[in-house]
Amino acid sequence: MVEFKDVSVTYSSGVDALDGINLRINDGDFAFIVGSNGAGKSTLIKLLLKEIDATSGTVLVNGYNLRKIRRRKVSMLRRTIGVVFQDFRLIPTMTVYENIAFVLRVIDAPKKYIKTRVPYVLELVGLSDKMKTYPEQLSGGEQQRVALARALVNDPKLIIADEPTGNIDPELSYDIVELLKGINECGTTVLMVTHEHNLVRYFGGRVISLENGSITFDEMVGGSDAGK
Amino acid sequence: MRVSSAGYLVKQGVTGVWKNRMMSFASFCIMLVSLMLVGISILAGINISRIISGIEAQNEIFVVLKPEVTQADIDKLYVEFNNISNVTDVTFYSKDQAWADMIADMTQQEREAMQYGNGDNPLPDTFRVKIADLEIMDITSSQLTTFDMVESIQSPESFATALISLRNVAALITSAVVIALMIICLVIISNTTRTSVHARRKEINIMKYVGATNSFIRIPFFIEGMLIGILAAIGALILTRFAYIELYNVITEQLQGLQMMGSKPLYSFSSISTYVTIAYLAAGTVIGALGTTISAGKYLKV
Repeated sequence: MVEFKDVSVTYSSGVDALDGINLRINDGDFAFIVGSNGAGKSTLIKLLLKEIDATSGTVLVNGYNLRKIRRRKVSMLRRTIGVVFQDFRLIPTMTVYENIAFVLRVIDAPKKYIKTRVPYVLELVGLSDKMKTYPEQLSGGEQQRVALARALVNDPKLIIADEPTGNIDPELSYDIVELLKGINECGTTVLMVTHEHNLVRYFGGRVISLENGSITFDEMVGGSDAGK
Repeated sequence: MRVSSAGYLVKQGVTGVWKNRMMSFASFCIMLVSLMLVGISILAGINISRIISGIEAQNEIFVVLKPEVTQADIDKLYVEFNNISNVTDVTFYSKDQAWADMIADMTQQEREAMQYGNGDNPLPDTFRVKIADLEIMDITSSQLTTFDMVESIQSPESFATALISLRNVAALITSAVVIALMIICLVIISNTTRTSVHARRKEINIMKYVGATNSFIRIPFFIEGMLIGILAAIGALILTRFAYIELYNVITEQLQGLQMMGSKPLYSFSSISTYVTIAYLAAGTVIGALGTTISAGKYLKV
């Protein structure tokens, strides 16, 4: 569960990135967060990952109050969140298998579990045959699927996808969102930040719109095939 | 932490050296040269100090005894001189021996001239006293004059003062060079490790996002830095050994004159190799491991 209560963020430069946000996303929800550049989407994600602190208000994520969480516990919070970035952020010196297994090693998972879990998630994203490949040998779409596999390998409560389709072919964008939808159907909360309205119109669901640091729209929208 | 996880982190550290081979090689070279420069400076310093201390040790105070001194007095003085704390060696030089040596050193002409004298030995009995610390030579001299049967003292105090000044200046220059080199090397090593880690800041960033603790990220960097440091230390040790032996041969040949003045020979490499090996390995390991770990720490604040 994610909850923002009167959250504001003002950067040291004086820019008000978020202005009194109130938002609740329940477990198992799928929500698109849309908005133009500078609307506050990135700030919202940084808050969820405890990369920055709110200037005022309270942020609750998966049972952690981010205002009160100790620095040492931030790694524990992040283990409950899977993140997919626009630029994939895979470790270039590790193979696909190693990139995903790393997340399980971080949580001190048993070797046997790692050996069965990693091939399983790679199969889910359709990359079973790329285990020994290095990220640079993959296409953008494939790299994003590896990033998705990495995000879900430790069964997080929440997946945050920050413009996951921004660096891949439009055709493949639909596959990525399909995958996210599939993960959501298994009970994982998914927050997808995007500025691709076609995707939002196509898939529908809860849409939260940010403008100048405020929520201007938060409603369920019906999906269609029209945008594809 | 599981044994398998610990093993994984160690393996990551070891393979990290190869995976980031360009930066590893740069760190290796910088550390090798730095260790060598500092190491050779220190070795030069301790050898200069050894040469000077050897010359210092040859300084003797001549204690001239009164003409009426008896064998019993001489035996007593020998024991009492040896009991003075700064005295390292006491040698009795009898007037008969001094006379014989003087005659032996004379030319034939001088010996013939001596025959016109009355044949009496005018030389006194003396003690030659070697001391440990030149800086308190005057105090030791005063102590020696307090004995009844001592007529006078001859101590080379001005030479001693010059030697002390030389030793102090040499120690100062050596320390200054070593400290300056150490600072320069630490700055260069720190910059190199920082650049090496900077190149991998994204990697560290990703690790933080997936929930890795700081120690989980640091351990491979620590092992990687330590390995590079050890390898650099081994390289520096081999090169230092080679350079030292070559210099040892050249300098030993050149310093034969100084050795005649009582200077001690340079340390042979075999006599100091254990200390040099330990010092190089310890310095390489600590600098490598800490340098990399501290640099990585900068990027952990995500």
